[in-house]
Amino acid sequence: MGWVLFAVAAWLLGLLINVSLARRPSSWWVSLAAPIVFGVTLLAVWEGVVRGFGINQVLLPAPTAIAARISASADLLWADFVQTVLKGALSGYVIGCGAAFLIAVAIDRFPFLQRGLLPVGNFVAALPVIGMAPILVMWFGFDWQSKAAVVVVMVFFPMLVNTVQGLQAADAMQKDLMRTYAAGYWSTMIKLRLPCAMPFVFNGLKIGTTLALIGAIVAEFFGSPIVGMGFRISTSVGQLTLDLVWAEIFVAALAGSAFYGLMALAEQRVTFWHPSQRH
Amino acid sequence: MTKIVAGAALGLWGTMAQAADDVTLQLKWVTQAQFAGYYVAKDKGFYEEEGLNVTIKPGGPDIAPEQVIVGGGADVIVTWMAAGLAARERGVPLVNIAQPFKTGGLQVNCLKSTGVESPEDFAGRTMGVWFFGNEYPFYAWMASLGLETDGADENGVTVLKQAFSADPLIQGQADCISTMTYNEYNQIIEAGITPEELVTFNYLEMGFGMLEDGLYVLEDDLEDPAFKDKMVRFVRASMKGWKYAEENQEEAAEIVIENDASGAQELDHQLYMVGEVAKLTAGSNGALDPADYEQTVQTLLSAVSEENPAITKEPEGAWTHEITDEALN
Repeated sequence: MGWVLFAVAAWLLGLLINVSLARRPSSWWVSLAAPIVFGVTLLAVWEGVVRGFGINQVLLPAPTAIAARISASADLLWADFVQTVLKGALSGYVIGCGAAFLIAVAIDRFPFLQRGLLPVGNFVAALPVIGMAPILVMWFGFDWQSKAAVVVVMVFFPMLVNTVQGLQAADAMQKDLMRTYAAGYWSTMIKLRLPCAMPFVFNGLKIGTTLALIGAIVAEFFGSPIVGMGFRISTSVGQLTLDLVWAEIFVAALAGSAFYGLMALAEQRVTFWHPSQRH
Repeated sequence: MTKIVAGAALGLWGTMAQAADDVTLQLKWVTQAQFAGYYVAKDKGFYEEEGLNVTIKPGGPDIAPEQVIVGGGADVIVTWMAAGLAARERGVPLVNIAQPFKTGGLQVNCLKSTGVESPEDFAGRTMGVWFFGNEYPFYAWMASLGLETDGADENGVTVLKQAFSADPLIQGQADCISTMTYNEYNQIIEAGITPEELVTFNYLEMGFGMLEDGLYVLEDDLEDPAFKDKMVRFVRASMKGWKYAEENQEEAAEIVIENDASGAQELDHQLYMVGEVAKLTAGSNGALDPADYEQTVQTLLSAVSEENPAITKEPEGAWTHEITDEALN
């Protein structure tokens, strides 16, 4: 009962703090504090409810149990992170986005490809990952290469479509201006059309970050070596060590946010000229 | 004191039960002949005769029956003893109330052409292993052979998490894989590999046997005489279903096919499976043999490690004869 009261108290306290924060004139620390207060409140309520109602740890472990597991299994989590994020997701992301970018440029240059390749890209994008993954494991083996292949398939299409769209963003007047300067295809491309395409390209890159992580983790459900975040999640559920599952989810959330944040930061640097970046 | 009251109440309930009681059974795997006894009991009306309205929930690769029962999604589950004991140590107080599978079908198959003839040849090999609770006997076996599981070298093997199929062996991605006598072994044979080309290691024969499909309920539920009585009738009807399936294999296979909502199973394969599963259930009248239980526990305790965290201490109260004593007499 005490813990349930604790949960209610934590909720009320968090609510009070955030309401009073919202009334303050906005400043950098207010906009930082509000989500932190929210997050801490959520954890406190979670802890209180799990303990108060005696919820079995097999259904939902308490945040403190998860934190204890994270610190106890740091080595294991790091090895899984390297295997899944650095080897599987990142390499697949680089290959998939890089290939999609190059092919988008080619498609833009040769309308013939646009008619042939875009429908194929569309088709590949429509394949469900749970159908692709076992096949790619069969082709590329159990290790991270097959996971990277799944990621390539997943990130390729959003990147391709966005880049193709972006390359059409420069309008006719701007292209005419380049022509009056006697600029050729490549200098028009590099000085005008690619910069214009960048907001679209970054859209594709940002969508790809989450897709890459999902793809790499889910692909490990269909055969893997005995390391990796997806392997750990699926087998730990079977062993009922749910605290380890949540620890992996925590790492995945952290990695995903950091990856996305990194891309958003790069976007700010590259497309500083775009109206959406004005504050 | 509570026992006497419970006993008296049980007797009362035994005569009072009339309206059909609902029982939900959560299977360990998809609808297939591995669970023929339960489907037969339902289809032939054995449950009905006992005044039970039984719902059979199929499982699958992403369903842990132990989690389902603790979440209230089932009254009784089918699972392997290693997984049941592991769950017990993690705060899910499962109790084995009946053991329809006397022996186990888990084995390791290697291709002769890879040069593997005996366990001494395992070092440096790649081995496919199932997880989700099925890895415990493998780790116990490797520990007794003195082999590490962190990579192929002179004293270790590379372990792959094998999906539930025989593909890795057929495609040469693994030297040895896990199979069940009643399922994946047949897949290998159907893929065109003859039994002569295979080396088979049966876990039971090697002394790493672990009890497979048993019926488990939550300890707290057993304190309720009404629930206990329901389980007595459930076990009695289920065992009747198993014995019927053993004797009428073709009919049992057809019943399984009829109950397969996914439509994925084929009659030939189910017929084969019924035959193989019948060999596993043949020696059991439903009551757990404490010696088999002891072997499972000792195998698990012989290889406690970080990768193999099944159980770390001798479990207590993990099985009972209370239900089977009542059901089978």
